[in-house]
Amino acid sequence: MESAVEPLVSVRRVIKRYKRGSESIEVLHNLDLDVAAGEFLALMGPSGSGKTTLLNLIGGLDRPTDGEVVVAGEHIDGLSGGELAKWRSRHVGFVFQFYNLMPTLSAERNVELPLLLTHLSGAQRKASVAAALELVGLSDRKKHKPGELSGGQQQRVAIARAIVTDPTLLVCDEPTGDLDRETAEEILGLLQLLNREQGKTIIMVTHDPKAAEFASRIVHLDKGALVDEPAAAA
Amino acid sequence: MKFAPLIWAGVWRKPGRAILTLLSIVTAFLLFGLLQGFASGLNQAGSQTRADVLLTFARVSQIEPLPVSQAAQIKSVPGVAAVTPVVLFTGTYRTPLQLVPAFAVDIDQLAAADPDLITPAQIQAMHAHRDGILASSLIAGRYGWKIGDSVPIRSFQWTNRVSGGSTWTLDVVGVHGGAQDDFFKNITLVNYDFIDQARTTSQGTASLFVLRIADPNRASQIGGAVDRLFANSPHETKTATQRQLAQDQLKQIGDIGLVVNEIVAAAFFALLFSVGSVMMQSVRERTPELAVLKTLGFTDGGVMGLVLGEAITLCLFAAAIGLGLAYVTFPGIRALTGFGIRGGPVMGVGLLIAVGLALIVGLPPAIRGMRLSIVEALAGR
Repeated sequence: MESAVEPLVSVRRVIKRYKRGSESIEVLHNLDLDVAAGEFLALMGPSGSGKTTLLNLIGGLDRPTDGEVVVAGEHIDGLSGGELAKWRSRHVGFVFQFYNLMPTLSAERNVELPLLLTHLSGAQRKASVAAALELVGLSDRKKHKPGELSGGQQQRVAIARAIVTDPTLLVCDEPTGDLDRETAEEILGLLQLLNREQGKTIIMVTHDPKAAEFASRIVHLDKGALVDEPAAAA
Repeated sequence: MKFAPLIWAGVWRKPGRAILTLLSIVTAFLLFGLLQGFASGLNQAGSQTRADVLLTFARVSQIEPLPVSQAAQIKSVPGVAAVTPVVLFTGTYRTPLQLVPAFAVDIDQLAAADPDLITPAQIQAMHAHRDGILASSLIAGRYGWKIGDSVPIRSFQWTNRVSGGSTWTLDVVGVHGGAQDDFFKNITLVNYDFIDQARTTSQGTASLFVLRIADPNRASQIGGAVDRLFANSPHETKTATQRQLAQDQLKQIGDIGLVVNEIVAAAFFALLFSVGSVMMQSVRERTPELAVLKTLGFTDGGVMGLVLGEAITLCLFAAAIGLGLAYVTFPGIRALTGFGIRGGPVMGVGLLIAVGLALIVGLPPAIRGMRLSIVEALAGR
């Protein structure tokens, strides 16, 4: 998709290869993708198509073998490990399929984790955590540990953790993959709300066409390349 | 400090395992604290002795008696200011654990040799009561003895001719104190004549002579002169400063100390493996969690710091409990032995060892955490 406005995320001629023993496997082949600010993009495709690999590159969890990844004007493919870690803490919120919360910490302590890397005071962190939990509707469960919460509630905590630093971009890897249909729709509705009302740019990997319908644009990936870009579904 | 809840939660991730690990570290540091405390007390005992006091024993063995008549000859050696014949009269009070360190002495000669120890009134009281006992303030305080009390002492060595047993019933006639470094400070005193006449063996002998010399710098020359006096006689002597004798004894205890230190070292060495493997296992189990922390923006160094922080917290917390338990026993050991245990240095060294232990056991898992790849870890590889 071409746009007159500078895209928030720009992936250019990206190649990603992995080494498995003596074998080199190319997962992404010369891939280009733009994501505009405020977009809710669903990244679909069969298993092994390279969805998560692409998401990892955009989220700064991995570096491309070749090509460029530019997010909010910053070439993140050239950043060192330490710089990339700092960049992630400021610009990206992550939501995983299996929530990935710290089991020994309460909901509010989990949400506070990204804020520990900022210079905010204890009171400021507390206020930000309260606001994030309020936004996902879990203020009354803030003292509960993940094991005391349902799957949907855990994913809400994970979303609160992802947005608490007010990041530029939210990347979600199968955020409803472990949830029943009803809970999944609640979570997707929440993401849609964050996109529409908070203006969050969201890139979501999903297998589920119904989940993808909540996005404003759907991109299909197959064997490491984009295959088409259907019109907005929602 | 803001990372403290995260570190603390990591320590207690598996409470059962954490408690067992904690107990093993607590036990090792309790052992360390007790043994090192005891050793420091022994060293203190050696360092608090006086340089102007010489002790003369039989050369062949310190338990071999010497004729009391040697006192006059020793007194004639230039540089010797006073001589006190002493019979070791150590025994127990009512129970075998109620130790009473005691000497039988000629009270007048003792007063001449150690004028600051006892008062003229106490000397008179000892003259008036042949079966009198002049308790050290330590012993009087410990067992609640008061003047006028009749106390039974069960002697380790001497049988009472009158009673036919080892129990000697003596009357408390006074309580003496003395300077911190006084040789007799913690020693309870009884009359030499009374004991010597009433004991069934070794009459007319002394276990040792306590000499006071005018010039501590000439201690070795004076000691040599005393020993030369009795060279090639049936009762050869060995004279040395209290400090030298204490050092000789400490050397023997030092050998025991070496064995004890080796035992403690072996305990710590075993601890390295057990705590190290627990830390490694804990980090291995939490690989996805550490990957999530990195995903959120924790740097490699930050994750390494967190894991090391856990190891240091665990080891320091457990060591503090173990050393604290040892510390509360120090007054008891001090009261029992009279050793001035220096708890502070023992605690300090113990905590330093705990930090060292934490760094050794924490570093391999911390490096593992530092090196882990987010993508590989999140993918469960």
